[in-house]
Amino acid sequence: MRSQALLLLVAVSAIAADHESLLIQNVTIHPVTSAEIKGGSVLIVDGKIAAIGTKLSARGAKVFDGKGLDLYPGLINAGSNVGLSEISSIRDTVDIDEIGVFNPQLKAEVAFNPSSEHVQIVRAAGITTVLSLPSSRGEEFSPASAVDAPILPGQGALMHLNGWTWEEMALKRGAALDMLFPIIPSVPRREQTIGGPPQRTYSELEREYKVKLEQIANFFEDARRYAHAKAAGEPDFQPDPKLEAMIPVIEGRRPILVRAGKERAIRDAIEFAEKEKVRIIIADPHDIGSTAELLAKHGIPVVLGETLTLPLKEDDAYDSQYALPGQLFKAGVKFCFGTFDVEFARNLPFQAAAASAFGLPPQDALKAVTINAAEIFGVADQIGSIEKGKLADLILTDGDPLEATTSIKAEFIVGKPVNLESRHTRLYEKWNARP
Amino acid sequence: MRTLLAFIALTCAAHAESILIRNATLLTVTKGTIQNGSVLIQDGKIAAVGTNLSAPAGATIIDASGKFLSPGLIDCHSHTAVEGSVNEGSLSDSSMVNIADVLDPSDINIYRALAGGLTVSNVLHGSANAIGGQTIVIKLRWGKPAKGLIFEGAKPGIKFALGENPKRQGYPSELFSSPAAQQRRYPGTRLGVEDEIREDFTQAKIYQTRWKLYNEDRAKGVHPIPPRRDLRLEPLVEVLEGKRYVHAHSYRADEILALIRTADDMGFKIRTFQHVLEGYKVAKEIAAHGAGASTFSDWYGYKYEVIDATPYNAAIMTRKGVVVSLNSDSDELQRHLNWDAAKMVRYGGLTPDQALAMVTINPAKQLGIEDKVGSIEIGKSADLVLYDKHPLSNYSKVLKVWIDGHPYFDLDQDLKDRITLADRKKDLIAKEKAEEDTAKKKADTERRAVDKKEGKLPQEGAL
Amino acid sequence: MKRLCGLFFVCALAAMLRAEPPSSFAIRDARVVTVSGSELAKATVLVKDGMIVDVGPNLAIPADAWVIDGSGLTVYPGFINALSTWGIPEVAPAAGAASRATAAPAATPQPAATPQPRVRGPEDRPQNNSYERAADLVKPTDHRLEGIRAIGFTTSATFPNRGILAGQGALIDLAGDQGADMVVAQPIGEQINLRTGGFRSGFPGSLMGVISYVRQLYLDLDQYQQAKSIYAAHVSGTPRPEYDHYLEGLAEAPRILLPADQAQQIDRMTSFAQELKRPAVLYGMHEAFLRIDALKQANLPLLVNLHWPEKAREADPTDVPSLRELEMRANAPAVPALLTKAGVHFAFYSEGADSAADIRKQLKRAIDGGLPRADAIRALTLSAAEVYGLSDRVGSIDKGKIANLVVTKGEPFEEKTTVEYVFVDGKLFKPSKVPPASPAGERGRN
Repeated sequence: MRSQALLLLVAVSAIAADHESLLIQNVTIHPVTSAEIKGGSVLIVDGKIAAIGTKLSARGAKVFDGKGLDLYPGLINAGSNVGLSEISSIRDTVDIDEIGVFNPQLKAEVAFNPSSEHVQIVRAAGITTVLSLPSSRGEEFSPASAVDAPILPGQGALMHLNGWTWEEMALKRGAALDMLFPIIPSVPRREQTIGGPPQRTYSELEREYKVKLEQIANFFEDARRYAHAKAAGEPDFQPDPKLEAMIPVIEGRRPILVRAGKERAIRDAIEFAEKEKVRIIIADPHDIGSTAELLAKHGIPVVLGETLTLPLKEDDAYDSQYALPGQLFKAGVKFCFGTFDVEFARNLPFQAAAASAFGLPPQDALKAVTINAAEIFGVADQIGSIEKGKLADLILTDGDPLEATTSIKAEFIVGKPVNLESRHTRLYEKWNARP
Repeated sequence: MRTLLAFIALTCAAHAESILIRNATLLTVTKGTIQNGSVLIQDGKIAAVGTNLSAPAGATIIDASGKFLSPGLIDCHSHTAVEGSVNEGSLSDSSMVNIADVLDPSDINIYRALAGGLTVSNVLHGSANAIGGQTIVIKLRWGKPAKGLIFEGAKPGIKFALGENPKRQGYPSELFSSPAAQQRRYPGTRLGVEDEIREDFTQAKIYQTRWKLYNEDRAKGVHPIPPRRDLRLEPLVEVLEGKRYVHAHSYRADEILALIRTADDMGFKIRTFQHVLEGYKVAKEIAAHGAGASTFSDWYGYKYEVIDATPYNAAIMTRKGVVVSLNSDSDELQRHLNWDAAKMVRYGGLTPDQALAMVTINPAKQLGIEDKVGSIEIGKSADLVLYDKHPLSNYSKVLKVWIDGHPYFDLDQDLKDRITLADRKKDLIAKEKAEEDTAKKKADTERRAVDKKEGKLPQEGAL
Repeated sequence: MKRLCGLFFVCALAAMLRAEPPSSFAIRDARVVTVSGSELAKATVLVKDGMIVDVGPNLAIPADAWVIDGSGLTVYPGFINALSTWGIPEVAPAAGAASRATAAPAATPQPAATPQPRVRGPEDRPQNNSYERAADLVKPTDHRLEGIRAIGFTTSATFPNRGILAGQGALIDLAGDQGADMVVAQPIGEQINLRTGGFRSGFPGSLMGVISYVRQLYLDLDQYQQAKSIYAAHVSGTPRPEYDHYLEGLAEAPRILLPADQAQQIDRMTSFAQELKRPAVLYGMHEAFLRIDALKQANLPLLVNLHWPEKAREADPTDVPSLRELEMRANAPAVPALLTKAGVHFAFYSEGADSAADIRKQLKRAIDGGLPRADAIRALTLSAAEVYGLSDRVGSIDKGKIANLVVTKGEPFEEKTTVEYVFVDGKLFKPSKVPPASPAGERGRN
């Protein structure tokens, strides 16, 4: 490590004057992918990490003294509705959950509101990148399982939480195709109230489920035919935005983020992926049953939802949700974390820490909110760790960023210092001063 | 059932023994932190706190080296352990209903909360109406019947609610459309909510007078017909007489201030403002009224009336002299209130002691039980939580929880219970399956016999 | 045997010709389980004009009596369903419908399709049918009666079961030319349901709302009665109390029936009964195995629901039920045995289990759960009568009691047992055959 730093020292002096450069020094660097460096410095040139070491200096670079604080890569929330939903109970302010069953052509980034209050609030917690998704939590958690419930609600985009326009903020468009895997809703065991809709039987619900699976298979078949017709340049070929959007998916270039809460959905999703030969990422699972090994075997990564959530069943161990990440870790499944909401998106690091209290090694908790997310969504060459050549998404803290008692002191997104003020701090300052 | 297991565990446990917890970092909350401290529990109470305590004969000694001991956590806003709806939302004033009537000691969330260090909850009615139902403070004595949950000597309360929730039924949203929901009810605005509460207390005063006159008449030997006892107005009379606390769900500064003025005019006190996300704007007025603020750590953005929510709310209110607690309002969040407290160090720079107070002694003060619980002090109930790390660390984990000196949660025991539970379920399912198979076999035999008799079965070999 | 058949031929013919049915019977040489006293190995039961005239060995048989040779048969008091809607045709499920799958709980009021006036509180008396009398509603046309009689039920504590204050029960015999003939005694109690329409359905919309509502009603009743007596004593100058239809209904009932199925509900309703300070009966009891001691201490009469909890007929195979539910399923049928052992007074009722096959199956499970057969019979006869304070007229085979009898070949509710004769109010019914099992029962075979 040390010898590498010395080598870098040589490289540094070659910075040309017309490049924007910044030297963060006097910090403990936590690169995530390698050992920590005490008294370290990071040189940023044109938004990228140009050098890491202990004795860096750079003429012409602005210097930021880290005063002995800790430097981490920016955290990644790999599942949220940030930018698309402002006040969740007021529909007019919400742009998720479009009407329609198959909408793979919808793109989250085009409605990402750079002025959303949540952008500032979330990044103030050390989160520099979010995956913004076009739909709310999966059907598993919504009261209705209507026949016309969305299945493919659109594409999620990885967004940087800094920029003037969504174009500037978009790190990776079409990062994943969102998919709400159908479910068989559970039939309530006891009738609590008078009246209400008549209970449907399991076999009816199961039939509906199978119909939906068939619908999905048909849609993928259509997409494949479409791609074939297009490639063959068939004379009567007619463009179709929906099917067009499926081409990267069926070609395996765009993964499908499958919201699969329970074991059945996970198993059926894996089967579906095998059959359709598509890449999937399981999202927001809470009752994985005995699928951990299966996920590991197929190399299917997972975006975990909230750790801090209730066990699903009365008899589940009290810590069944807390312990889930540790369980996946032991099975060798690659995973990261999301929150699948807006208002609690900033609490992502605490979800990871709680998982660590219940069996996930702390270093892997940190990886889960940084490098793992980057790898799972194919941007590990750009973000997720402090390494030379990556984008300078960095946070400066007075301790472990997964601890709530830690403060985020400074933040850089693509090398630019980020203002950590938000509506929350502004209100604080204003009203704290009320005489 | 876990209740059953807990019940067995409790009855097996020796009664009210002495326990000495040694070598822990004691987070007393009111008397600072004691390194290598010991706590002696006797007869369910904290008998001694110090660094060099010796165990009385026969005491159970627990070595807590490297571990942290805090008072049991207290949640000033819970809806756990309630059977049926927490809202009697049909009326603008449903003060006749009482949470105490519907406590469900078998709610698994009691146990789950215990496992997160929670020992006391203020179980509240919901917020669907201006004046909701009567409320009760419980101890999470898992395994005891409903009566055994009640916190002896804690004053009962009543839930009020301001703002969007109570006015929603004035203008029901399409979300809840049904023929019944189309029946709009007053109030549909904050103006109306303010008026509703005034109106109800006006009625309560008339009711109070009516009974006074009746009792005077009776004393005079007249034979008046007694007034009708009105279960709706009686709790409001108790509020006027200071026998019942008011816990008021609120968000905006205007409605908070308006309720303070209503209370001033009518002659009663608001004990706590609940949620009170704009409390920081009227902290001065809340403090002057003597009300506590039981708020969320960092909830925001989920509806319009919380547009000005800020996680710095608790810090500002604290600095302006309000007793502030952090509540859960959730079966989930109540499982780690210590982690919510930790956020107060980040948002507003409170000290760890101030933060921890918000989930221990402060809610105790708000519920008027600070002489019994909320800190590690001699004479208080031995409601204690043992952690492997500092409870404000997000990496900490609860190891043991005592209520009144009895162990109600023990991680090692929990791990054993899981096996017992799984085995028992396996047995029961197997037994049920065996019975099913026998019945099926019997039915098959019978059917075959009938079919044979009726000549429906093909001859042997004909297939 | 031949003579018996002959007799019956005449009997049936007589009925066909609409001649006066016989009014005097002698069941001779039968084993008689009186329930109230010791079992008689070989005795005669004499019935005349609807009453048991005498029972005992070697009785002289009057000349006008129709004689039934009871050798090889056993005579029991007619079985009593201690809580049902039997006899009220309006609440019977449609003929042929799966009795348990769709009917339970019977008589559930449906939310009105058109908006009702907003209920302002307890004073509007919502869901209150306290004044409605089963006695005025029962009719022999209830299609369930024939099948029920065929398995030996002669009597039912029938309640209208509508709403929260669900109406006045009547003890009825399960046959008669018209409704009025069926009523043995009324009112026998007010059934209380703790059901609600749920949030946003109008008051009361929650369990706690229902409880506070019932509490307020009984406080109102106290005040009403007090006001009436003060008024009666001091008419001049005292304002006249307003007549309250609903409170009059409550006032009539000699007891209240409170639902209590799970352990916490048993605790809750035990204290509620004490608080209301009136005779109370608890019904349900499926989780009573956790509260045997408390129930013994409470000393309230209990009605045990024979409709034992069981696996949902059609469940998601991946849904593993909770341990609590599994324990309930496994232990509920043992509740009668545990209560008997503890000396707690109880009777059976058959919520929605109307078919012979169902009731037989459920009773057998109680017996398999350790309930002595004699105690099972008692819970179906005398104990049920005692719960309602009517053991002076039904529930045992004693001189002077109503001639409700069931004559079987074999132990009741065993599969091979046949019910040979049933007497209701002294009238003879010969079950042609036990009606076929309900579709619900049949489904189990597939």
